[in-house]
Amino acid sequence: MVGAFEFAPAIALLPLAAFVVALLFGDYLPKKGAYAGILATAGSLALSLWMLVAVFGGEAYNEELYDWAIGEEITFHFGILIDPLSALMLVIVSLVALLVHVFSMGYMNDEGETGLRRYYAELGLFTFSMLAFVMADNLLMAFIFFELVGLCSYLLIGFWFRTRSAPSAAKKAFLVTRFGDYFFLLGVVAIGATFGTLSFAGDASFVDAAAGAIDAGETFHGFSAETWVTILGLLVLGGVIGKSAQFPLHTWLPDAMEGPTTVSALIHAATMVAAGVYLVARMFGFYALSPTALAIIAFVGAFTALFAATMGVVKDDIKQVLAYSTISQYGYMMLGLGVGGYVAGVFHLMNHAFFKALLFLGAGAVIILMHHEQDMWKMGGLKDKAPVTYYTFLAGALALAGIIPFSGFWSKDEILFDAIILGLEEPIFLVAYAMGLLAVFFTGFYTFRMVFLTFHGEPRTDAARDPHPLGWNVKAPLAVLGVLALVAGVANLAPVAKLTGVDIVFLEHWLDGEYGAVDGLLYSEYTATAGLETAYIAGSETITLIAAGVLALGLALGGAGLAYVLYNVPEPKAHTENLGQAREVLRSNYYQDEFQVWLATGVTLPLARAADRFDGSVIDGVVNGVSSVSLFGSGGMKRLQTGVVTNYAALIVLGFVALLVFFGVYGGWFV
Amino acid sequence: MTVGIEYYVLLSAALFCIGLFGVLTRRNALMFLMSVELMLNAANINLIAFAFYHGNLTGQVFALFTMALAAAEVAVGLGIILVLYRNFRDVDVTVPSAMRW
Repeated sequence: MVGAFEFAPAIALLPLAAFVVALLFGDYLPKKGAYAGILATAGSLALSLWMLVAVFGGEAYNEELYDWAIGEEITFHFGILIDPLSALMLVIVSLVALLVHVFSMGYMNDEGETGLRRYYAELGLFTFSMLAFVMADNLLMAFIFFELVGLCSYLLIGFWFRTRSAPSAAKKAFLVTRFGDYFFLLGVVAIGATFGTLSFAGDASFVDAAAGAIDAGETFHGFSAETWVTILGLLVLGGVIGKSAQFPLHTWLPDAMEGPTTVSALIHAATMVAAGVYLVARMFGFYALSPTALAIIAFVGAFTALFAATMGVVKDDIKQVLAYSTISQYGYMMLGLGVGGYVAGVFHLMNHAFFKALLFLGAGAVIILMHHEQDMWKMGGLKDKAPVTYYTFLAGALALAGIIPFSGFWSKDEILFDAIILGLEEPIFLVAYAMGLLAVFFTGFYTFRMVFLTFHGEPRTDAARDPHPLGWNVKAPLAVLGVLALVAGVANLAPVAKLTGVDIVFLEHWLDGEYGAVDGLLYSEYTATAGLETAYIAGSETITLIAAGVLALGLALGGAGLAYVLYNVPEPKAHTENLGQAREVLRSNYYQDEFQVWLATGVTLPLARAADRFDGSVIDGVVNGVSSVSLFGSGGMKRLQTGVVTNYAALIVLGFVALLVFFGVYGGWFV
Repeated sequence: MTVGIEYYVLLSAALFCIGLFGVLTRRNALMFLMSVELMLNAANINLIAFAFYHGNLTGQVFALFTMALAAAEVAVGLGIILVLYRNFRDVDVTVPSAMRW
């Protein structure tokens, strides 16, 4: 495999080329540039798979390619880091991007949308930015592409910019994520200033520098090294919370569903939202140094998982349900990473990318079937009319709900297992575990409420009775992802491995440097650094494993079963209306939007007004005062000028005499 | 027998004061100009007297320069007075007082 990594930059550059081609020639190309995008992402996928094979062959790659700015203390550079984690993520991103491009031909081209040149160009730019972000070998490069994907997200949410809601949703997404990114930027600057390097790996990585500083007991700005690392970690976490839509910056994601469904699948489910979680995984060695930061990650994640899942229960729009489930699932990943379950978090990240892309594309197919209707109450009975969509969607739903043996079960089970074994040692984490566990029930419920309302029962509208036909380009991506949603769990059958003793935890070995790896980025090293103690129920791993698994599966089945009883009937009723007041609160998203608007108008605006008043009165007052004093003074002084030459002569003489007297007195003539 | 230096200085001071008085009190521009000439010549007397007193020629050379300067000054001054008269039908220096703020 000599030279495989020489081609690594091409993975990102191919979609960039597609962006340029689509932007310049999109109007003249068949399918408005879709083929360019498909070719480029297919090329990226092939190269990414090659990277995967190369890493499998025991290699890894960590190279600085280009020095961007060279300073005295720090050098900014662009570089590429291909290790097991980034190789895996590259394959996920390029695969989903390829499938979404194919699906777009069915969803956008065949539906006669205008502005397709712009659409494919932005899709290409997004794919480029996302792949470059994944490959980034330092925090600054990661930040740059983190912002670029945010820009593409903004552009694509606002794709239908002539509507009222899309531009406002785009602005909201941009501003809310930017709020988080502001902290990220502070974190990047602070890490660079503290350690003089921004590299993720290698000898001069900031992770090593931070570990060294903690060992040496250094202090920074009056904080101990460990506290300072926690502060830096939390600053970066701000960007993660914004991008991965974690509480309290989750409000943009449901609104982001204003964009085309393909965009929701690619950006707001499978890849861009994953960027935040990926970043935590990427610098997990850094977070592992700070138990406090890890605990905060775990609690933010667990709370978000439960919080978003409850809101998903009452939504009527199929995409809204999926949006809240996305928030909730990313909460699980954060929980997994926060309790030290690096493998579990990455595993769920992978599985979620597949099954959530599947669900969104499935929802896109449903929307095509329904002639662009998104309200689930107007659907029903699509099961028999669109079997491919139904069965693939069902596979995705089973994976999302975490029903054995679909992929979601294995990864979610692993996260919850990691949470409970940590919780048994440190009881505070049991709270996080409980929140995650409770969310399983809600997940099962809202997932199957969605499935039953959409596909089961009697058709409730004319559109549902006579659905629009689907092309191959819609069905093929669904089929690929449907299979993946079923089998991706095989990558890491940890519970089976522990029960039977068969060594089938491939992903764990993969992330632990069994194959190729970069020094310092290994699961076992992270675990050693974090040094989290774990315990088991009755001291037995098997009992704990079975108990946790059965509990989670039982709750998921319970939620699904409740949905089955309530909604799998020919004419389902709006049972959520029985929730009364609670339903109102949930439908209003716990008044989070109102709260944030109040924060902006009720707190920030008066504060800004006060600052403005201070600026207008005190600062400007001083400046204006100085100028008016000199104006007034010179207004008096100018009266000396009379225009009469005799007076000037007199003044000269008097001045001369005065000088004479002064120097006389000073020089001592009159003594 | 030579005249003492103090008499020259006294003469020069008297001449200068007469010139100064003229500048401060006269309104006629021609008188003004003459007064300035008086003050210049007071300086000349001083220069020559001290040159004589110290026995070198530097002061006398400077007096020649001053005379040239005075001639030039009179040429410019008379030009100004002519323009003054053309514009104001008068050579009173207190009349044109617009050249101020």
